[in-house]
Amino acid sequence: MRKILVPIKRVIDYAQKIRVDSSKGPQGVQLKNVKMSMNPFCEIAVEEAIQLKEKNKGAEVVAISVGPKQCTETIRTALAMGADRGIHIETKPDVRGDYVDLQPWAIASLLKGVVEKEDAVDLVLLGKQSIDSDCGQTGPLLAGLLNAPQATFAANIERGDDGSFTVERETDTGTETIKLNACGKPAVITCDLRLNTPRYPTMPNIMKAKKKPVNTISLEDMVKELGLDLDEVLTPQNEVVEVYEPPPRKEGETVGSIDELLGKLKEKGLVA
Amino acid sequence: MHQRLEERQSIIIPRYFSSPSLHFRHSSSSAAAATAAPPSRLPIDFLEILQNNHPNLKISLNKYDLDSHGHGESHHPVSPPDAVLYPSSVEEIQDILRLCCREVYREGDVVPTVEIVSVIPYGAGTSLEGHLNFMLPQDDSVESNNDIIVEIPVSLFESNNSGVSEQLKNETKKVRIKRKGGISLDMCNFQSVGELTPGDGFVKVGAGVTRNSLNDALRHTGLQFMIDPGADATIGGMTACGASGTAAVKYHTMRENVLAMTTVLPPQTIASVTNDTRSRSKPRVVTCGSNALKNSAGYNLPHLFIGSEGTLGIITDVTVKIYPIPSHVIAASCTFDDLHTAAEVVTTIRMLGIPVSRIELLDEISIRAFNQSVKNEELDPMEEKATLFLEFSGHSESSVMADLSAAQAVCVDDFEGSNFVSARDEMTRNEVWAARHKLYYSSIALRGGGDNDGEGATSQSTIVTDVCVPLSSFADIITATAKDLRDLDVFGTCFGHAGDGNFHCILPLRPDDTDEYKGNVFKVIELMAERAINVGGSVTGEHGVGYGKKKFLEKMYGGAGVSLMQTIKRSIDPWSIMNPGKIVDLS
Repeated sequence: MRKILVPIKRVIDYAQKIRVDSSKGPQGVQLKNVKMSMNPFCEIAVEEAIQLKEKNKGAEVVAISVGPKQCTETIRTALAMGADRGIHIETKPDVRGDYVDLQPWAIASLLKGVVEKEDAVDLVLLGKQSIDSDCGQTGPLLAGLLNAPQATFAANIERGDDGSFTVERETDTGTETIKLNACGKPAVITCDLRLNTPRYPTMPNIMKAKKKPVNTISLEDMVKELGLDLDEVLTPQNEVVEVYEPPPRKEGETVGSIDELLGKLKEKGLVA
Repeated sequence: MHQRLEERQSIIIPRYFSSPSLHFRHSSSSAAAATAAPPSRLPIDFLEILQNNHPNLKISLNKYDLDSHGHGESHHPVSPPDAVLYPSSVEEIQDILRLCCREVYREGDVVPTVEIVSVIPYGAGTSLEGHLNFMLPQDDSVESNNDIIVEIPVSLFESNNSGVSEQLKNETKKVRIKRKGGISLDMCNFQSVGELTPGDGFVKVGAGVTRNSLNDALRHTGLQFMIDPGADATIGGMTACGASGTAAVKYHTMRENVLAMTTVLPPQTIASVTNDTRSRSKPRVVTCGSNALKNSAGYNLPHLFIGSEGTLGIITDVTVKIYPIPSHVIAASCTFDDLHTAAEVVTTIRMLGIPVSRIELLDEISIRAFNQSVKNEELDPMEEKATLFLEFSGHSESSVMADLSAAQAVCVDDFEGSNFVSARDEMTRNEVWAARHKLYYSSIALRGGGDNDGEGATSQSTIVTDVCVPLSSFADIITATAKDLRDLDVFGTCFGHAGDGNFHCILPLRPDDTDEYKGNVFKVIELMAERAINVGGSVTGEHGVGYGKKKFLEKMYGGAGVSLMQTIKRSIDPWSIMNPGKIVDLS
């Protein structure tokens, strides 16, 4: 194996309570002073990349992220887990990554350019979706743009000696096994929860990660380098109209007997 | 100061649980009525005053919430509070505690009444010695010890004026003292995890943070909180109970891992209630300890609260030590023909100074339970003999391997242990330790008995006890207990933190057990405790005293020791608001 590219996203930490200020319209989700971490599905993708690297000596794992300057910390976490180098496409501080400004189409376009520029990429591993926008589109869009084979919701990945990938996909109706044949294009695989348990990096690895190379390039420069149109990248295809907290759950009713329960269900038209 | 009778009458307040107009967040007074929660023993206006001053304070009267907050994880019977409160700030806790000792005039009173409400802080509900049991008489109309008339100094009352005049200092007043039910303070809203400073090995966390969620929050820092009791307990609860786990042999217990904490103390004075309850003397908040690794300044206040089991105040945040995740870890196990030999191996390993990060001893019944619980996973069942589980960790491969070899030599060459195997990969190691942690439940399952229409043993019917003795006595004590179990024909598993001289005995009871059997179970426990005391050990290494083991304190510390504990309790919590009936009693 030569290169594994792992796009990762910096999002609000999954354990944080999301605060919404509906007076701010589409910008309602509060990002200031909120703990941010690597998207959990991206963590799983990084872990899988490291495990593949450990099985295939000589493979290089490259972590890439699009976001503000703090993204470098997220990339450092991937490096601490075992990635070899990082690419940080830096956006201006007010550009939001949670679907308001940057959306999957723009990211996939950037990633396509990076894959082609890097050359020798055998595999792109992404999280199946990010926990802020929940789109799940970046992987499939990238595969489409690259005309590359893809498998989403991977719960198991095996690499064949011929460079093919056999992927077990978790779907709502069961597990499906797909083989991505080696075809000169990188395989694009998105990772689901049960694929692995991401390692906690140890201190020595965290310190080593500080010395691993991270190439930072501004979004504008990267767009120019890849020959893309900056407007196209920065103008979202979809507009966020409204952001609001879900209404609080209403208290349930307590009933005194099964008959009463049946009565209520009938009243609400839930039972004939 | 106190309200005149006429004023009180004009505020007639219906008993809250029958009034639909009173509106508590998240409670369902109709639900309470439908599931027949017993009538509340709290003062009539207690919750209303709180809710008015703190509209965002969540209060539950739901029977299921009350029940779940009235017990821990063992056989001590459920004794629920009258309400569960979910504070979110130190200020709310201060106001709640202040209201728990209050002077009122009720209809028909000749003298004013001081109404005292018991308070127990609640973390994850995993305590084991009845810590969460409210132990209140069910019917508060019974005029027993609950209701006495005393004469107390006027200075004990909150005053409108600043200071107490010389003349007033000597005055006393007659009051009736009445205990009026109990409330549980659920600390789940205290979820903060502080920022880490590079180079420091500590973090400040809210009392409601569980140890697993703390470690999850720390997952990218390279540091982890190493104290691992079996349950996913809260840091506040672990502090209050002096918890520890399998990692204690390397990382010690909460006592050695708490650097600082914030505690809200119970009120010293009796509050009087007017419509403004926010004024005057609030219960004090103490921040004690220091972020420095060593601190010689003044009395050791954090240690006063560690292990105090909620009897001295409400812990709201704790600064705990965290440690780097070791780079190299290897686990091992070894079987022995008898329990005594296995225990002696532990003492030898410790005396030789071989570093171990975990060393646990399981007797053959424990192994049987262990085997049952891993039937579904990929670990092979183990031979049913006394077994040691060990773990070695360090920063280099060579140091860990050297520790492993040294221990192996002791086990196999010196003590004829057999089947010494080691496992390096994380998954296998985690499975072994998870199965060890689950021994409590797998012991209960092994006792079972729930098949033939009857209820089997459950965690609510299981007695779990632990003692801790000097290492030199460990082999004899654990062997003697195992022998008691056989002689008295009692089902129990003996296992534990051999490296600390601490072992547990799990004794599940079934509903179909005879009185004789139950008597024998308690006999086993008594014998364990007595032996431990006789060798200068402790009647509890980890689980605490609650009310279950209060009786042993005098044997351990003598009358003077217990009396000093009472002095401390009396001066910090003179009205015995905080978890009364635990650790020590006040007359």
